[in-house]
Amino acid sequence: MNEILTSLRRTPYQTFAALSVLFFTLLLSGLLFISLTFLQGLLDYVETRPRIIVYFQVKAEEEQIFAVRDQLEATGKIADITYVSKDKAFEIYKEFTQNDPLLVEMTSPEILPASLEIDAKQPEYLPELADLLSNQPGVDEVQFQKDIINNLLNITSNVRKVTFLFFSYLMFMSIIVLTTTLSFKIALKREEISILKLLGATNMYIRKPFIGESVFLGFLATSLANIVLIGVLILLNAFLKDYFADLGNLSMSLFGLPLQVWPFNLTFAILTLSVTAIFSLFITLISSFTATNRYL
Amino acid sequence: MISFQNVSVRYPLGNIALDSVSFDVEDQEFIYLVGPSGAGKTTILRLLLNDIQLTEGSILIEDMEITPKKFKQVAELRQRIGVVFQDFKILPDDNVYENVALSMRIKGFNEGETKKQVEEALELTGIADKMYQFPSQLSAGELQRVAIARAVVGDRKIILADEPTGNLDPKTTWEVMKIFKELEKTKTILFATHNTDIVNSMKRRVIILKNGKLVKDKKKGGYEL
Repeated sequence: MNEILTSLRRTPYQTFAALSVLFFTLLLSGLLFISLTFLQGLLDYVETRPRIIVYFQVKAEEEQIFAVRDQLEATGKIADITYVSKDKAFEIYKEFTQNDPLLVEMTSPEILPASLEIDAKQPEYLPELADLLSNQPGVDEVQFQKDIINNLLNITSNVRKVTFLFFSYLMFMSIIVLTTTLSFKIALKREEISILKLLGATNMYIRKPFIGESVFLGFLATSLANIVLIGVLILLNAFLKDYFADLGNLSMSLFGLPLQVWPFNLTFAILTLSVTAIFSLFITLISSFTATNRYL
Repeated sequence: MISFQNVSVRYPLGNIALDSVSFDVEDQEFIYLVGPSGAGKTTILRLLLNDIQLTEGSILIEDMEITPKKFKQVAELRQRIGVVFQDFKILPDDNVYENVALSMRIKGFNEGETKKQVEEALELTGIADKMYQFPSQLSAGELQRVAIARAVVGDRKIILADEPTGNLDPKTTWEVMKIFKELEKTKTILFATHNTDIVNSMKRRVIILKNGKLVKDKKKGGYEL
């Protein structure tokens, strides 16, 4: 450990360059990882709540609506149906427009449509149920989450692609910078390495201090990046909680195990730390092996 | 036991560094390698360290055979050999103790055994009082003593010395030779030198080389060219 610290102290500029690049790489990687898991959690959340809302024409009778409800239940593809009457719709409307009494005054329950909120057992049933509803008498509009899911799928897929490209670029840049920095140090110690080899040192013995040094830098950068990440999340936590107040818990499946990604929690923080640590270890090992290979 | 059998070294441009050289070295034997510059003395030492590759013949070092084929046990071979160079080759950032201990750490000795052997070697070479000094604080003679101590520790049975007195004044040269005289009781020593006084005063086996050829191999010989 003392040798590592001495070596880092003797080359402060190279150490600073390597540490900065590693720190930013790991910080951005951590941010991308958090964003990606959050989006995946959101997608899973929407996917596990397959819902259709059907609005009836204003003149539609309750019997007509209940007939549609019974027909839907008979399909066996429904998890839950909630009937929202004109009066209930007016209550909801009043709640939404409570700051604007004029709007409430201009509206009455008679002009609002009754609706059915339908939760399907599987997302695949949604298009079929939507078709069925469109052909029913008294139905005005059928809304379901196909568009939302498709949009989320598109976003997640694009973020994955961008993340992969960005990860690759960051990793490549970090490896190049770290390899160059280590190569400088090794070049300065070329004479020392030749003496070690003459004394019978194995390649691994010669590599060990350089590997130790870069892994130590990686450890330092991982710690700093995670401290900053956690700090930012703590600072933004109140705002995010308020912003996503209606969201509840977001979870995703990781290697078959459930992982809660929102609200942020200790398990998720440990996972982010582990991912950045593995990423850092990968970069530092590749760099130190590449740099030392040139001189052994 | 070291055995050279018809060993030749030819460089790609056709220069001959060593031409069909054969000789055997018994355990705990002291041999001077003498000859003018370019005669092949250093080439023999570098071959023993597998620092260069031979083109023909074979070299047997204990149970290891070096042939023109790629030799893979380089580190293992070098761990059996101690080396002393004219320019000392001491690590400038490590103190005397660390420089000598390095030779043992490379071989995986534990710290207790390392400390014991390093202290003994520094006593033998007469530099125990400078154990924690750095190379920049030492004279040439002292640096060479450090190099000898480093070559001795870690159960290295063979010592290769390449002009070890080349950078030393006459008084220090004789002090260093006294150490080698002590070492020959337990080590096999191959000592390459130009110094006629040393060879003539300390009568040992002398192998004389000229233009890469072994021209004379004399028991208890002197320096003659």
